[in-house]
Amino acid sequence: MKVLIIGAGPAAAGAALALSGDPDVDIRVIDVGGRLEADNDAARLRMAAAAPTEWSSSDVRIVSESAHRTEGNPLPEKRNFGSDFPFHDFGQLEGVSGEGGVNTHVVSGAYGGFTNTWGAQTMVYSAASFDDWPFPRSELEADYRAVLSQIPYAGEQDDLAEYHPLWGDAEHLPSLSENAVRILDAYRRHRVQVRRRGVIVGRARLALRASACVKCGLCMTGCPYSYVYSASQTFDQLIADKKITYEGGYLALRLGESDGGAFVEARNLATGAVETLRADKIFVACGAIGTTRLVASSLDMFSEPIHFQESVQFVMPFVSIRATSALTQDDSFTLNQFNMLLPFDEAGKDLVQIHGYPYNDAMDDAIPQILKTPAMRRIRAMVLKRVTVGLGYLPSWWSPGFDLTLERPASSGDLAPLSIGHSALDSGQSSKRLRQVNGRLVRVAPFLGVAPVLPMVSLSAPGKSYHFGGSFPHATKPSGRESDTLGRVEAWRSIHLVDASVFPTVSATTFTLTIMANAHRIARRVLEDRHG
Amino acid sequence: MGVTGAGGYLGGAVASLLREKGHDVVEYRRNASEDDNGSPVRGLQLDAPIGPDVFEGLHSLVLAAWDLSETNGAKSWERNVEGSKRIVSAARAAGVSRIVFVSSMSAYYGTHQNYGLMKLAVERAVLEIGGVVVRPGLVYGGTPGGMTLTLSRLARLPVIPVFRGANLFTAHVDDVVGAVATLAADREVASAVVGLANPVPVPFKEIMRAIGDAVGSSAKTIDIPWRPLLLLLQTLEKVGVPLPVRSDSLLGLVRPASDVPGLDVAASLGLAFRPFPDGLDESFEVS
Repeated sequence: MKVLIIGAGPAAAGAALALSGDPDVDIRVIDVGGRLEADNDAARLRMAAAAPTEWSSSDVRIVSESAHRTEGNPLPEKRNFGSDFPFHDFGQLEGVSGEGGVNTHVVSGAYGGFTNTWGAQTMVYSAASFDDWPFPRSELEADYRAVLSQIPYAGEQDDLAEYHPLWGDAEHLPSLSENAVRILDAYRRHRVQVRRRGVIVGRARLALRASACVKCGLCMTGCPYSYVYSASQTFDQLIADKKITYEGGYLALRLGESDGGAFVEARNLATGAVETLRADKIFVACGAIGTTRLVASSLDMFSEPIHFQESVQFVMPFVSIRATSALTQDDSFTLNQFNMLLPFDEAGKDLVQIHGYPYNDAMDDAIPQILKTPAMRRIRAMVLKRVTVGLGYLPSWWSPGFDLTLERPASSGDLAPLSIGHSALDSGQSSKRLRQVNGRLVRVAPFLGVAPVLPMVSLSAPGKSYHFGGSFPHATKPSGRESDTLGRVEAWRSIHLVDASVFPTVSATTFTLTIMANAHRIARRVLEDRHG
Repeated sequence: MGVTGAGGYLGGAVASLLREKGHDVVEYRRNASEDDNGSPVRGLQLDAPIGPDVFEGLHSLVLAAWDLSETNGAKSWERNVEGSKRIVSAARAAGVSRIVFVSSMSAYYGTHQNYGLMKLAVERAVLEIGGVVVRPGLVYGGTPGGMTLTLSRLARLPVIPVFRGANLFTAHVDDVVGAVATLAADREVASAVVGLANPVPVPFKEIMRAIGDAVGSSAKTIDIPWRPLLLLLQTLEKVGVPLPVRSDSLLGLVRPASDVPGLDVAASLGLAFRPFPDGLDESFEVS
């Protein structure tokens, strides 16, 4: 069987991992294939070949450029090894526009997709998160485990496992920051009081090769040693093992089926020519918005709003009573350290999650200008030594989501112009729920020794969470813009959507692992069906 | 089949009934010994390491062990919740396919009671591995134990304190034990939370009057405002005064669950719970 995978992000990696287990499947992966700039990559490689003490300051300066502020968003856009390549327009953002401050850097053209720059938080969805899905979590368990066995993974057995099981063999996390340790200790001492007020605290679960971590402090700007997982690592391995054929430099324009198989018309970015590539099966994994543009324009779904479900992000700075002893990211690991889980029901469907991040240099850059003056140096240090930044998420059913509208392209060789706007379906729940979250965190503050800075708590703009999907949701009996449990819309039998575009809902749990597991499930089921 | 907490009120009764029904039962108590019939009892403590072969050969395990002696919240959590989670994990690793956890109607989303919160946390761990959670209501009948024993002591006071607005779900011990045994033996039942109680809540005043009648008390009931009493109990506990009733128990009485979960599951298995006070008198006649 000839299979074509479009994309090289986490969904594509999940599907490729499942398919590559069958020697009778010929797997070809096409992708925009954007890469880190040569100078930055050279610096990264030099650093990867040496111990942190031997790194040149110029290389460190190149790769550790902090995040950049973007208009209307409280959270700056991350940089990876000093580059914006995960967000850069390699052609895939052609015709993308947004209104009202929405994020428009929503499709990655990078090899590895947004996992080049993600937070690496890796957590299984709660069982109740699947209440609105056409299959239970148990149907995904084997796929979750299969994916976890193929990626680096670190975590600990703690209270979070009451909702999010720690499946697979997780390595222990590296030692946590002073603030994180204090918060977790306080939670252990006052667990009953904290939980009575509706908050559960546990340690991070990360796609991180923790046992090798040298705690160089550069996690948030890119691990020079590649210990933080990126989907590109999966593809590098599959290419090296000759299990797939990978071709970068293709921008998919249109999908279709003919002669019992499927085809994609793709622009060769080097030549500009549009080529038709055929396969028995096509797995579409361009990221939820990239896939939606490709599928909807192929099916003439123009000028009609397509609703996206988003697990909206909120930024929640916390201030601790006690300060950390030093203000530096050196000799530490700076990924997410601990999680706060706020259940709003018994079964664990209505969960809100907050990921706690320790000090990193980006926080220094983000503080108000007035605190950066020499006269305010001591106050600045006093503040930063007490700050922990929380990135929180509400589930999609409490979030506004956003609408995407496509217009017919000028010619068949163009991508359909795409505009992203605020959703007409916004129920306005997010502000109310965020107030409830604030209330709980204020009530547990005396016990945890850390309080939210309420005036600075803010919801991020639509699209900024990167946790969105649901444009072609799985359904048992699909109709209209729904897909079956194999990710197929009604018009097609050999084209499978495998990214978050098929998620019926988006839980507040970080969702990349679930994307990979679901893509793995679809590919596994396709193979099983083929073998009868 | 295994039963932890077999030295306790419910655990012992469940073990006996399972044995009566012809099952090969392994009892787990604090210390290894022999039971009344001379059968070996395996030692299992909530806060001690679990040996590798402790659950060998079991296909079902009823978790009824709980230690109420620890009054410090953090220590009680460590012993009961973390200990129970370790048992669940070890049983699962040993291939035990059916786990039935004896929780409480005090365990419900939004409970403020320590005991309910702790039971709820263990419930989550059991449900995550596909086990069954049972929540008995206020258990009466048989040899009075647990809360019924406490209430029977209150009923013997010169005036019987009651709390307005407190309504509790009740269950006769025989019905509860029968239901737990059924769920332990039936491996087809899907993972669920099943309330083991009559679905009609009974006003606390009515419960106390019935218990008063059963113990031969003619004392009058008196409505007590529970908030000041709760505050008083909490204050006395903080200064270390030993009390016959804990503030946490009072909280369980005055802020009970609003409904009985899993009624459909119970009905599908033919589990029925007699209305209160059916069967109450016999228990006090015996005692």
